[in-house]
Amino acid sequence: MMNFLRRVVNTDFLPMNEVRKIKVVIVMAFLLIVTAATIGFAFFFDYTNAVKIVVMAVFLFGAGLIYLLIRFNRIMAAIHVTIVYTIALTMFYTQGTDSFYAYLFFYISLTVIVFYQELYIFLSYGTIVVGYGVFYIWIHRANLVAPDDIPGSVYAYIVLLVLFYLIFLLQSMHNEKLYTDLNLEWVKLNQVIGSYQDFTLFHLEEIRKKNKGVPFYEDRAFRKAVDELSVFVCEQLKDKGKEITNVLDLYIYIHERGLAKIIENEELSVATKKIANRLDKYLLNRRTDMVSILMNFFTRFRTTDDYRPNRYEYHLGRLAPATAEQVVAIAFVYRYLANEPTAFDRYGQPDRIMSHEEICQLFAAPEMEEFLSDGQIAFFKENAELFRDHLGRKG
Amino acid sequence: MKREPARVFPEIEEYREMLEIKHLRAKNHFVILLLAVGAALTILYMAFTDYAIGYILSLLIAFLALILMNLTCLAYGRENIRFNQLNKYVTTFGVFAVAVAMLFIFQSPSMLSLLFIAYALAAFYQDRKVMLISNVSLLFTFLALMTNFRVFFTVENASAENDFGLYFFVIVFISLLTISQYIMIKQKGFFYNQIAISRETEFRNIDFMIDACEKSTGAKIDTKGYFAAAESFAKALSAKIGVDDAFAGKLAVLKDLEAGTKYEVILAKHPDYAVGDLDRMSELLFTGRHKLRKVAIKMSRVRGVDVHKREIFSETQFKTFNHPSDTLEIKIIAFAVFYAALKRGSAGMRPLTESEIYDAIVHTDYYFYNDPAVMRIYRENNAVFDAIVKDAFAPEAGK
Repeated sequence: MMNFLRRVVNTDFLPMNEVRKIKVVIVMAFLLIVTAATIGFAFFFDYTNAVKIVVMAVFLFGAGLIYLLIRFNRIMAAIHVTIVYTIALTMFYTQGTDSFYAYLFFYISLTVIVFYQELYIFLSYGTIVVGYGVFYIWIHRANLVAPDDIPGSVYAYIVLLVLFYLIFLLQSMHNEKLYTDLNLEWVKLNQVIGSYQDFTLFHLEEIRKKNKGVPFYEDRAFRKAVDELSVFVCEQLKDKGKEITNVLDLYIYIHERGLAKIIENEELSVATKKIANRLDKYLLNRRTDMVSILMNFFTRFRTTDDYRPNRYEYHLGRLAPATAEQVVAIAFVYRYLANEPTAFDRYGQPDRIMSHEEICQLFAAPEMEEFLSDGQIAFFKENAELFRDHLGRKG
Repeated sequence: MKREPARVFPEIEEYREMLEIKHLRAKNHFVILLLAVGAALTILYMAFTDYAIGYILSLLIAFLALILMNLTCLAYGRENIRFNQLNKYVTTFGVFAVAVAMLFIFQSPSMLSLLFIAYALAAFYQDRKVMLISNVSLLFTFLALMTNFRVFFTVENASAENDFGLYFFVIVFISLLTISQYIMIKQKGFFYNQIAISRETEFRNIDFMIDACEKSTGAKIDTKGYFAAAESFAKALSAKIGVDDAFAGKLAVLKDLEAGTKYEVILAKHPDYAVGDLDRMSELLFTGRHKLRKVAIKMSRVRGVDVHKREIFSETQFKTFNHPSDTLEIKIIAFAVFYAALKRGSAGMRPLTESEIYDAIVHTDYYFYNDPAVMRIYRENNAVFDAIVKDAFAPEAGK
């Protein structure tokens, strides 16, 4: 319970699938409370006792189903079942009583649906709830109005329900676009960081070879440390810790043989191949997730420049407001691109230098809007030959 | 419960806030639109149903004041971002005030939902303080109205069950709204966090790459060659456009800055320049880890980044040791490898101490990169982890 609360409080550090799981657990808890209250309210409903018992049994079954779906990590299915459950509760209340509080269930249902922040879910289930809500208000209008109510109050009920839906629809659409844009930016950034890490890893390997160092996976002490740590953690969580050594052996074996050969090996079971496939992202002999996380983590302990507001600014126009300074900046950037290796060559060495034509193409690419203004690009195009002749490749 | 974890990189806070404010402006446009729609619907209704002109005018002025304040804060927000923050708090108070005013003017149970509409409008901002204001306003207004102005909500079939149901379900509804808003605010924070962390990770990874490259190859940038080429280019460009060499002064200052000459000496040599100019021009240095080199490196990498639609929101993009598809054994091995690798260190990466690792893993967002059960074991037994690794790496252990 404390662990769950800790995760709720720290939702902003968790990926989407974890947040969905938290949401569905919260909705389940909420539905259980409302269902428990429904047992009391059901005494006032217009249904026969048999119907009440059957419906309550169905709700209990639904709660059990949601629990099982969460338990077996079928989160999207659990989301759908919780929404259907909420709509069923709404129908049970609105068909069972004319009381004003039943009307609140339309708002409660919409809140549950919008909570999941999935546009297609809001559009489908949300529209159904609003449609049913409008129908309900119209049919039960006599019970919803006060004795000396304002003119057209039934339309006020409808308009406000529809407005509530539209506001959250607008919010969902905006969030969907915002999150997609942010995610796209994040994925692109991660790919660019990966390309830096490819270079870094190559040079770190060169340094290791020069120092006659041993790679992680060939280092006995390292393997012993990992083995003992794994067994220790496994023993704390399970009765037996030794079974993890088989997985660890497989992990080391993938380093030696490569994943492709293990997948091709007909003697190995499908389960072993599945585990090998999942372990692949944690290998240490190329830039895997493991190596990326290690490098990113390690950068935390390296010295870095003091923070300045333009730390993440890469646009020459904003770094150098004066025109003459911008010209000098473009000249240096061109010189760097035309003389320093910035990519891997065909032999896998980080020695590839861009040609003048490639730099011209690069400057014309849409990605350059992060670095150059239209005016700067036009200036480069007009003077491309001067750049090539004076700043181009040495020798 | 443990305190909220610190950011893995403390530098990102300001950028994260800036990202939030940038998107807040877009949300403000939606709020203005919805306020305008609300105003139009209310005034039209009141006009058609012959309400007293005093009521119509008072609501019209209230709506207009809110809209004008929003527009003003949007305009001033360009100069000072605090106006955007002020705006969301004042607007939240404003929409609840207008909703309460309408409840008193109309005195109809149908208008109870106006409070929910006010809450939904304020929810657009997805802000913790706004959420607090909304919750307090909604709860207080509802309880105050139900206690002192119960007549507003009297419908045809009033009963004790109806009264209790109304209290109970409004409280349930507010609780649900609160939890829902809280999680949505946090969820939005996740994206801002990730972008900000990636920005800082990128900055540090470029530094790491530059250092690794220089250490591996021993090659440094040929500063003299760069300045000679730049001077030649500047002269040719000046000749082409028919002016005296307009860049000579700038290049001379940059050359001094690049050589690490003290500001006082540069300012004495170039009296036309001020400290602010030198600070600004320092961004144009291109050796070592300087900014212009980072710009060139980043420029050379962004081309050809191809993101498929299915990669967006893909869980595989989130690099973690807590993938739902992995078994517990895999998660344990992943953490054990990670921990042992940090302790061992390698070429270019020094071994980290136990306190460095513990502090970074347990007290920052790295905590959530791991399975909660594995983290609990580490948190409670980090001394054992340390002893195991020390024992394995002891000189006689590997033999």
